Amino acid sequence: MLLLQNIHLKLGAFCLKDLSLHVNRGEYMVILGPTGTGKTVLLETVAGIHTVRDGKIFIHGQDVTRLPPEKRQIGIVFQDYALFPHMTVRKNITFGLGLKGKSKKKTEKAVRKIADFLDINDILDRRPGNLSGGEKQRVALARALALEPYILLLDEPLSALDHQTQDRLKYELKRIHQETGITIVHVTHDLTEAFFLADHMAVMKDGHILQQDTPSNIVKEPKSRTVARLVGIKNLIPSTMADNGRLHTRLGHIDLSDTYLKNISNSKKTYIMIPDWSIELFPDTDREAYAWKGKMKVTALNHMNETAEVVCSHASGEQITLRLSGREIRTLGSSLEIGAYMEIGIIKEGIHCIPAK
Amino acid sequence: MKSFKIITGGLATILILIIVTPLFRMILAADPATLKATVTDTRVTQSIMLTLRCALWATIASALFGIPLAYALARWRFPGKTLVQGIVDLPVMIPHTAAGIALLMVYGRRFLVGKAFAHVGISFVGTETGISLAMAFVSIPFLVNAARNGFLSIDPRIEQVARTLGASPWQTFFRVTLPLTWRPILSGGIMMWARGISEFGAVIVLAYHPMTAPVLIWERFESYGLKYARPVAIILILLCLIIFAVLRGIASERED
Repeated sequence: MLLLQNIHLKLGAFCLKDLSLHVNRGEYMVILGPTGTGKTVLLETVAGIHTVRDGKIFIHGQDVTRLPPEKRQIGIVFQDYALFPHMTVRKNITFGLGLKGKSKKKTEKAVRKIADFLDINDILDRRPGNLSGGEKQRVALARALALEPYILLLDEPLSALDHQTQDRLKYELKRIHQETGITIVHVTHDLTEAFFLADHMAVMKDGHILQQDTPSNIVKEPKSRTVARLVGIKNLIPSTMADNGRLHTRLGHIDLSDTYLKNISNSKKTYIMIPDWSIELFPDTDREAYAWKGKMKVTALNHMNETAEVVCSHASGEQITLRLSGREIRTLGSSLEIGAYMEIGIIKEGIHCIPAK
Repeated sequence: MKSFKIITGGLATILILIIVTPLFRMILAADPATLKATVTDTRVTQSIMLTLRCALWATIASALFGIPLAYALARWRFPGKTLVQGIVDLPVMIPHTAAGIALLMVYGRRFLVGKAFAHVGISFVGTETGISLAMAFVSIPFLVNAARNGFLSIDPRIEQVARTLGASPWQTFFRVTLPLTWRPILSGGIMMWARGISEFGAVIVLAYHPMTAPVLIWERFESYGLKYARPVAIILILLCLIIFAVLRGIASERED
């Protein structure tokens, strides 16, 4: 288990501010954040490459804050893999085993095991310079895993790869995690990657962890507008709580249950978060499940492979973005075009109000 | 494209001609009989061997201190780093006779460090040690800067990964950093050695005797004229050309 307590660190333009993080044993933790937010610095700090100014780091209950990297039993895979260019793949893998004084027989056995596991038997005698991005990735993973570390740290491990290789390696990482049971801390700015892999997720910005929870909980109830934006929620509508206890927006009145409104009654100003699945086209006129219904004009249409992102504007200027499946696009046919008007309904169930700070 | 190639190639050729013409002129003007006599002159051969030897010792001794300094300049952040870098480059800028005088005022028999070394039997005036010291002083920037650039060319993450794999800082340096940077370091060493061999100004202040090849050439020129100085210069140039071509070949050989 990894525990970071109130970490403070300043490193050039990057800093970690009062950062705390808790990763359970065997968990796949993804730290999600935009570029330049200090994610890599955080990983390097866990690995012992940087010394913290304040705070403590525990690995399996042991305080490792002042331990050098070689004493932390941590494996790390960097974005650019950092393979030893002067060594063959085999020597890269055995580097750490050799330092631990393992016998030749044991080392060879470990190499065979990890090479079979990651399917790199064919490239063991090649140099890193002659490998593809995907192969380098596997070698970097093999090198880190050969030592059976307590924790595996992955620094944007898929970002330097093409889309196809990225897809393949995402499954590979999941398999590695499931089959080895190792604790993994993976940093990325890629939402798809994060949601695909994470058991738990920490959203990070400007050296802070803003929220830590399961991916589904974070998406369901982001603590702030920043978190909502970082996990890809597009529809955040500013609202005001009127004296009568009702929520008003530029779309008009938003009808939420009294119990829900009571819970957020402390916040005068909030953002109403509407997930994709809470928006319906052509709502059923009889149902009472809607918080809002109305007509909106299609102002932008972005096709993405099998789906499409439709931006709809209300007469007030407020905008809502909805995602349509391939089937919905086909059903709508030519009626889905810029300038067309559509009946839209927002279902109460998915709505979450975020206090505006 | 064609004009670019012609102009670039033309300018490069002019530069090479500027360098080689005087050397070729000197070699072609040599009288074979005098050249043969000079090769067998023990005073000349001893002087050349002394020069090569002293420059080699200067390079080896400087590497011991210069490589750690280059590593610190490449990897560490510390206050005054720019100043330290400036100090490293200083010997390139100051006149070498001035460097010799400066060295004499520290390592001379009557001065503090010189006196201290004299107690353990080491003298810098008129000795091979003094020659090596003068050579090292003026040529150290070549080694330090080449080694620093070599270290800078290595991604620090490669070293960081080595640490996470269980290597101590020493093991990381000797198993990862040095194997990746020995070529630029060797290249810097060759440049330093070369610069040491050609040093005259600082050496002559600290040690007129024993006579290094540049001092011998100057002495023969002063005492007997061009005819006697030229063969020594030719032998030194040819010898250096062969040695440096071989060493350069080793330093630039591709790994794969």
